[in-house]
Amino acid sequence: MTHPSGPVVSQRLGNVRPVQQAWTIEQVAAVAPSPRSVAAAEPLAVATRWASVGADDRALWGRCQGSGAEPYDTVVDHVEVAWRCTCPSRKLPCKHALALLLLWVRGGVAPGTRPESVQAWIDARDRRSAGGRGRGGEAEPTPTPGAEPDAEPGRADPSDQGEPDRGDLDRARDERVARMMEGLTQLDRWLEDRMRTGLADPALARYATWDELAARLVDARAGALANRVRRLAGLVGAGPDWHSEVLAELGFLHLIAQAGRRLPTLPGPLADAVATASGWQVRQADVLAGVPDTDDWFVAGRSDVREDRIEVRRIWLRGERSGRWAMLLSFAAYQQSLDDSFVVGTVVHADLHRYPGGSLRALAGRRYADPLPFHTPTALGVAEACDAIGTAVAQEPWLERYPATMRVMPSVLDGRWVVTDRQGSLPLLGDDRAIATLVAASAGSLVDVTVEWTPRGVQPLTVHLADRALDIGPRADPTFVSAA
Amino acid sequence: MTADLDADWRELVTVALLGTDRRPPPETSDPIAEVVDDAVRPDDAARMLAAVGAVAAARRAAFVPGPPAAPLQPPTDDERPLCSPAAVQCWREIVAEWPVLEDEWVLTVVEQGLRVPPDALAELLFRHRGDAVRRTRVALAAGPAAGWLADQIDRLAPSNSSTSVSAERVTSLPDLPLPPELAELRSVDAHTFASRLAQGFTSSAFGPAHKAVLVNLLARCRPAVLLDAAEALDRTGVGLALALGDLARLRHRMMTTLGVTV
Repeated sequence: MTHPSGPVVSQRLGNVRPVQQAWTIEQVAAVAPSPRSVAAAEPLAVATRWASVGADDRALWGRCQGSGAEPYDTVVDHVEVAWRCTCPSRKLPCKHALALLLLWVRGGVAPGTRPESVQAWIDARDRRSAGGRGRGGEAEPTPTPGAEPDAEPGRADPSDQGEPDRGDLDRARDERVARMMEGLTQLDRWLEDRMRTGLADPALARYATWDELAARLVDARAGALANRVRRLAGLVGAGPDWHSEVLAELGFLHLIAQAGRRLPTLPGPLADAVATASGWQVRQADVLAGVPDTDDWFVAGRSDVREDRIEVRRIWLRGERSGRWAMLLSFAAYQQSLDDSFVVGTVVHADLHRYPGGSLRALAGRRYADPLPFHTPTALGVAEACDAIGTAVAQEPWLERYPATMRVMPSVLDGRWVVTDRQGSLPLLGDDRAIATLVAASAGSLVDVTVEWTPRGVQPLTVHLADRALDIGPRADPTFVSAA
Repeated sequence: MTADLDADWRELVTVALLGTDRRPPPETSDPIAEVVDDAVRPDDAARMLAAVGAVAAARRAAFVPGPPAAPLQPPTDDERPLCSPAAVQCWREIVAEWPVLEDEWVLTVVEQGLRVPPDALAELLFRHRGDAVRRTRVALAAGPAAGWLADQIDRLAPSNSSTSVSAERVTSLPDLPLPPELAELRSVDAHTFASRLAQGFTSSAFGPAHKAVLVNLLARCRPAVLLDAAEALDRTGVGLALALGDLARLRHRMMTTLGVTV
């Protein structure tokens, strides 16, 4: 079995010897049947609960003292991603397998010699798979875990594993393209079924309906679409206009599916954008090998959002010379920390490496100097900001967020908070504290604010005052991340 | 165009609710209709989906701002300068680690002729909406902006607005209990203060049971003794003493970031 989210940590690439590399917490979370399973595994992920533990470049094993009289024998194949445990649980993986993985991730499992029983299990698995798809050889472009918000958690960067054979790469790529195309075709059929049965179909209110589709998209390596589907599930019944919002999202899924199926015929940048929106992964090493975008980057805003079991931080940067926006992403699973090296309101002279297709998304490269404190940004009026956002959305209709720095004031229109100037207004999102700070900073006058546009309104991220920047963007739950 | 799109969208939502098995997709306006005509498979569901995608994309890209809103009536001017960002950062540390210092921070802001900045103001009003004395103190430190802001944001309004408080309670620090042998340390010089504290730890006269009163002492002692006390406490190597040293340094920093000469 290869898990839908595909954690293949140590790959055999031709004659290249695999390098053993522990997973990350987020990879473990990705294979767990539910967040509750990870929570249940945590108390068992301590060395004192385990005996005879060991690991090698294929497997982990150990005996866990559970609630039963006899300890449970647990084995995890961390390469082909499979598990076996003598506990009575029907969950796969059980909490013992998850705990063993967690212990390994945290360095609590020492290298050892594979016991006979483990060897027999591995041999049996290899025999079973020998007639089917060969183990290993997959070396399609994959990200470092957490490389992007819609990444399939759990894939290691094969750039750390030596140069794979070109033929293997091409075959793997072709295979992956075929799987994705099949997944996009299935998605479009599913969407048509929704059109036939209607949004009033009670099936839409069940998470299982969406989870099933998301799982199929993960299988098709369309992780970005799977995440989008999971977010969409949360819209059902969430507000009085949910039918309209869900319908629009179904429409965008259809657009991505259609564009994805025509990928070879699309212009290069659009093809890249569609591929990214579908979930096609690009190796960080490839991104970092690209031509850097060097500029004085103004750190305009920060926004933390929980996506399933991962906290995602977006840092919005604006090039002082180019005027172009860029976005850095960082990720934290439970008790991991988010990147806080870019401080809102500062200017950093640095290289950024953009993902393909002129993407907003970038990786930070070399930094040439210490950040300079405080800065007064170039701010747009409401109409100009709408033009800029509309232009970006016209190019990529499925965009869900886009930044803008605006000179506006908060006010109330029809009982709802908005940001406004003399030209127009936009609905204001955010919790009471963010809005209160914005209102206090404005004190009824125009103020420079960096916002994150979403289809529902704008989320205030930063208020830029003459001598300070007030970072009011949504912040990660401090009980979830270790430092934010 | 936008009006057409909105009308098309409303019809699409209506049909989508029922499903194309019960109602055929609506005719859309040009140029959406052309896009729909290009749909690969001409059955109702495929045409509906093509129309939904096209109209959703067009509406999103063509979004326009709403009408301008009237500005809020601004608060009365307050000429006092804002506290520095460093002072606000110090206040955040106080709230997170040693909240016993918060009353003094707010009162020092007032005494120094400074004003609470907007980010701290919203937080302070949230924190003290149920405490009339502290809330009044925040109002003094923030000036007219405090009442104005509470009028704008419902959740900032006091939870009990009818409570009256005396001016004396608002403008003075609350007493913190101190046993006589510690209270007398408040009047000694810095060297004596620091050595007596350190001696208490090295001789094991002070232990975890004394934490509360020692915190009170460091929160109410003369600021001039704080740095000496912090250094002496650090030298003991005792966990509680190290924590108290941190408190002493934070209070000293509170004073300096608010412009108090220590």
